[in-house]
Amino acid sequence: MKKIVLCCAAGMSTSMLVKRMQAETEKRALTLEIVAVPAAEFESALADADVVLLGPQVKYELARFSRIAAPLGKPIAVIDMMDYGTLRGDKVLDHALALMA
Amino acid sequence: MSLYVSLMRVVENHIAPLAGRIGSQRHIIAIRDGFICAMPFLIVGSIMLIVANPPFDADTTSGFGRVWLSVAKTHWNTITMPFFMTMGLMSVFVAIGTAYSLAKHYGLDALTAGLLSLMAFLLAAAPQADNKMSLDFLGGQGVFTALICAIWSVELIRLLKKYNITLRLPEQVPPAIARSFELLYPVIGILLTVYPLSILLQSEFHLLLPAAIMHLFQPLIGVGDTLPAILLMVLIANLLWFAGIHGDNIVTGLLNPIFMTNLAANAALVAQGAATTQTLTAPFWSFYVCIGGSGSTLVLALLYLRSRSVHLRTIGRLSVVPSVFNINEPLLFGSPVVMNPTLFIPLLLVPMVNAVLAYFALHWDFVEKMVAMAPWTAPAPLGALISASWDIRAAVLVLLLMALDFAIWLPFFKVYEKQLITQEMQQADAERAASAATGA
Repeated sequence: MKKIVLCCAAGMSTSMLVKRMQAETEKRALTLEIVAVPAAEFESALADADVVLLGPQVKYELARFSRIAAPLGKPIAVIDMMDYGTLRGDKVLDHALALMA
Repeated sequence: MSLYVSLMRVVENHIAPLAGRIGSQRHIIAIRDGFICAMPFLIVGSIMLIVANPPFDADTTSGFGRVWLSVAKTHWNTITMPFFMTMGLMSVFVAIGTAYSLAKHYGLDALTAGLLSLMAFLLAAAPQADNKMSLDFLGGQGVFTALICAIWSVELIRLLKKYNITLRLPEQVPPAIARSFELLYPVIGILLTVYPLSILLQSEFHLLLPAAIMHLFQPLIGVGDTLPAILLMVLIANLLWFAGIHGDNIVTGLLNPIFMTNLAANAALVAQGAATTQTLTAPFWSFYVCIGGSGSTLVLALLYLRSRSVHLRTIGRLSVVPSVFNINEPLLFGSPVVMNPTLFIPLLLVPMVNAVLAYFALHWDFVEKMVAMAPWTAPAPLGALISASWDIRAAVLVLLLMALDFAIWLPFFKVYEKQLITQEMQQADAERAASAATGA
């Protein structure tokens, strides 16, 4: 099963988005694992992640995280600010799926 | 408007990249994560101190209050034991957590690094005599020593590894056993560096290493407890939030050592039955400066709930519950408050006004200073009440600040709401025109 990891400062606000995304995967009858982790746990979460999306508030970590993820060939991107703020699970899921494709 | 534009340019081109560099600097991350590791212990432990201090006078008529008071009095030692074993040993937790986190960043074995740091810290801070260890410097007084020991321990491991200085065992030795000896030289390295320094200070100056380090950091802590310093930090944090960066995460990463030293100092004073002295602590930031999250936006979420703009009403419904628990990213990004010139002034002004008023309320003892670590996700009035050792005036202060925040946010909200309503009406008109065109 493919795994999407969402990452923000404390893993709190992203967990709200995770719920929306899970609802969307059910609607589309996909089997995906989606989790939210604090930025502090990025390294350990990366091991079994297929794609990592960062909350816009921790976009300053993108360069460092990309350096860690690049050798493993795992895509990383920052979630669009408006999609994040309005908790658009469908849009963010599309984004994650596009990165994994 | 041009002032706004040039300020924005400074934030985008200078402050945000610099903050990004600081926020991803490995030692600062390690220090921040070290405190995060310690946090659950400090929360539970410090709440035990609050349990031992019932919010009732000795001559209370409340039956519940009398029972609580008498239980607290007879079982004081039993109840406060978890406090002394967590908050009272704060620096031990921080020493291990910081080294663990830093080692992980370097890709070193994190557990052994944490243990080495523990050894370094205990050597420096807890000399034993007659089979007894002193706890004097294992709490808040040892925080800076713990951080230095953690960083030195990990850097030492890294240095020895880099120059390939390691105990070489014959090839026949199984790798697992060989690995367990890898730490031998770093342990000796700590023994040869930290310990002699500690011995020298004790014999020459009758001074323990943490006391000397605390002396060095005292000016920083002194400055850290002043209003201008806190205002500057609040300003930077919210400027960064305006640029869409989690400013609090970066700023409190730097402030936590000071905040936690102050909180531990207050808690220790309460445990001794003395008056508190330190104004600025981690819960001060969480519950007075960030009521509903960065920018104190709980009242803004409430304003949105009844907004005539569909967009703002949607955001309000989405974000009001998380906002009660101080999580406001949906509101900040969804409104958006981030990069929104209309909401720029209140985003900076509201938390600063809160900081000023709360500072003086605590400084002049109108409200009890904070002594306990409540989880930052506690609703602000409740979090303030618990942190301030049940002083009901702390919760009242939060409510007063919220009323004031409401008054400041209101006019800016009105202007922004009007912009959105105009936009929404234009959109509806355009859609109607489009459907009329296709209908015809």
